[in-house]
Amino acid sequence: MNPDLIIEILPAFLRAAWLTLWLSVLAIALAAVLGFGLNAALQLAPRVTPLYRTIVWVVRGTPFLAQLFVLYFGLPQIGLAMDAITAAVVGLAIYGSAYFAEIFRACWQSIPRGQVEAGRVFGMSRLAILRHIEWPQAGRLAIPMLVNQAILVLKESSVVSIITVPELTMTAGTVVADTFSYLEPYLLLGLIYWLMALALASLGRATERLIALTPSPKA
Amino acid sequence: MNASAVSVPMVSLKGVCKSYGPVQVLHDFELDVARGEVVTLIGPSGSGKTTALRCMNFLEAHDAGEVRIRGALLGYSTRSDGTRQRESERSVAEVRACVAMVFQQFNLWPHMRVIDNVMAPLTIARGVPAEQARARAQKALERVGLGAKAQAYPAQLSGGQQQRVGIARALVVEPEVMLLDEPTSALDPELVDEVLEVILSLVREGMTMVMVTHEMGFAAKVSTRVVFMEAGRIVEQGPPATLFQTPKTERLRAFLRTWLSRQRQAFELPVNDGATA
Repeated sequence: MNPDLIIEILPAFLRAAWLTLWLSVLAIALAAVLGFGLNAALQLAPRVTPLYRTIVWVVRGTPFLAQLFVLYFGLPQIGLAMDAITAAVVGLAIYGSAYFAEIFRACWQSIPRGQVEAGRVFGMSRLAILRHIEWPQAGRLAIPMLVNQAILVLKESSVVSIITVPELTMTAGTVVADTFSYLEPYLLLGLIYWLMALALASLGRATERLIALTPSPKA
Repeated sequence: MNASAVSVPMVSLKGVCKSYGPVQVLHDFELDVARGEVVTLIGPSGSGKTTALRCMNFLEAHDAGEVRIRGALLGYSTRSDGTRQRESERSVAEVRACVAMVFQQFNLWPHMRVIDNVMAPLTIARGVPAEQARARAQKALERVGLGAKAQAYPAQLSGGQQQRVGIARALVVEPEVMLLDEPTSALDPELVDEVLEVILSLVREGMTMVMVTHEMGFAAKVSTRVVFMEAGRIVEQGPPATLFQTPKTERLRAFLRTWLSRQRQAFELPVNDGATA
């Protein structure tokens, strides 16, 4: 273990970590919005069920790497080129959206039908029920699972190193190629991912506490 | 009251059929409920009581027949060629706006405070300004004896109190008909009376009601008419005194005998008097 090497590579790693962080956070936000939209469409218009299922099946059933290759190397063949970072964000957002949608769907299902019926009986529109009855409960319920999925997306972002996005994992690879040292770059890489995951988890717990209906003992 | 108001029933079901897959739960069901009537549906489990009630506000879409609220068709309109056309969600809501419901499982919204639960039908569904809605909701809560619980969450209340909130939520829309689906079946025995008390007070005020219940004594006390159902059909109906004291059909006699013997067993024949312990 060479402490000097760690100090030497730290600035480059921090720059790369910043890229990892913002592209992941952007992708997570987009994935959450897309996932919410997919589930909302499913709830408001049961007719979209086959489409919803197809999207979830395809996105969830194929490796992220393959999706990313199609997006970055495949689409230019039909005239749809994008740069590596855009492809990374779009790819991660699509990949995450299927999982987020399923999380929302599960939380929606956990709300007793009777509550929805009560909304209908008292004259609420389907949209009003979604907004005032289902969302406030399902959203609260979803947070631990959303955080879980967000952390998975964060770590999955390491895959975009393959399409030359100079994020954390690619930077570690470069150091290895230059120095033939594996230990220092990958320990540092692990530590940085771990800190970012920790930040996401803390943010999630803080949000849970903030919007809890009744104060709960701090976990 | 003029003649037309008398002749148009508040709720009218004509030839209503309803099946769940291969099981037909309602067969050509016919029922007219006049203004001021309190109609109680009784019968064994699976006889279609709750389904009949849920057809009255289109929580269940009937397969055939007509449901009318104050003369207006609910759920379907009839095309010129005689086929039915499903009405929009909005027009269904308009027709049933004067029909409120109280549920067996209360179906309060647990993330809202009691006052917000009672306000919601006004603010969210009817666009009543919040302050006006709050005042009306508070009045409805006081009406069921829960004015002091406005800021509580449903989970902080007993079952009986939750059901009274459910009744307040139904009252706040100033309904002309109330549908009550086994309003005391989910309650601990000692909490039943407080809910029945509130329902009784509504009956005294002349509220039109259709109620499904297993509280036979209460049905006898408050109903203007008791309807005994079995297998999706009305077997017998009439004023409670007639129906309970001189049942015409053997099926109703058997149903009442079972109920009476269970009452008697509960009070007169201790199964375990401690001697064998």
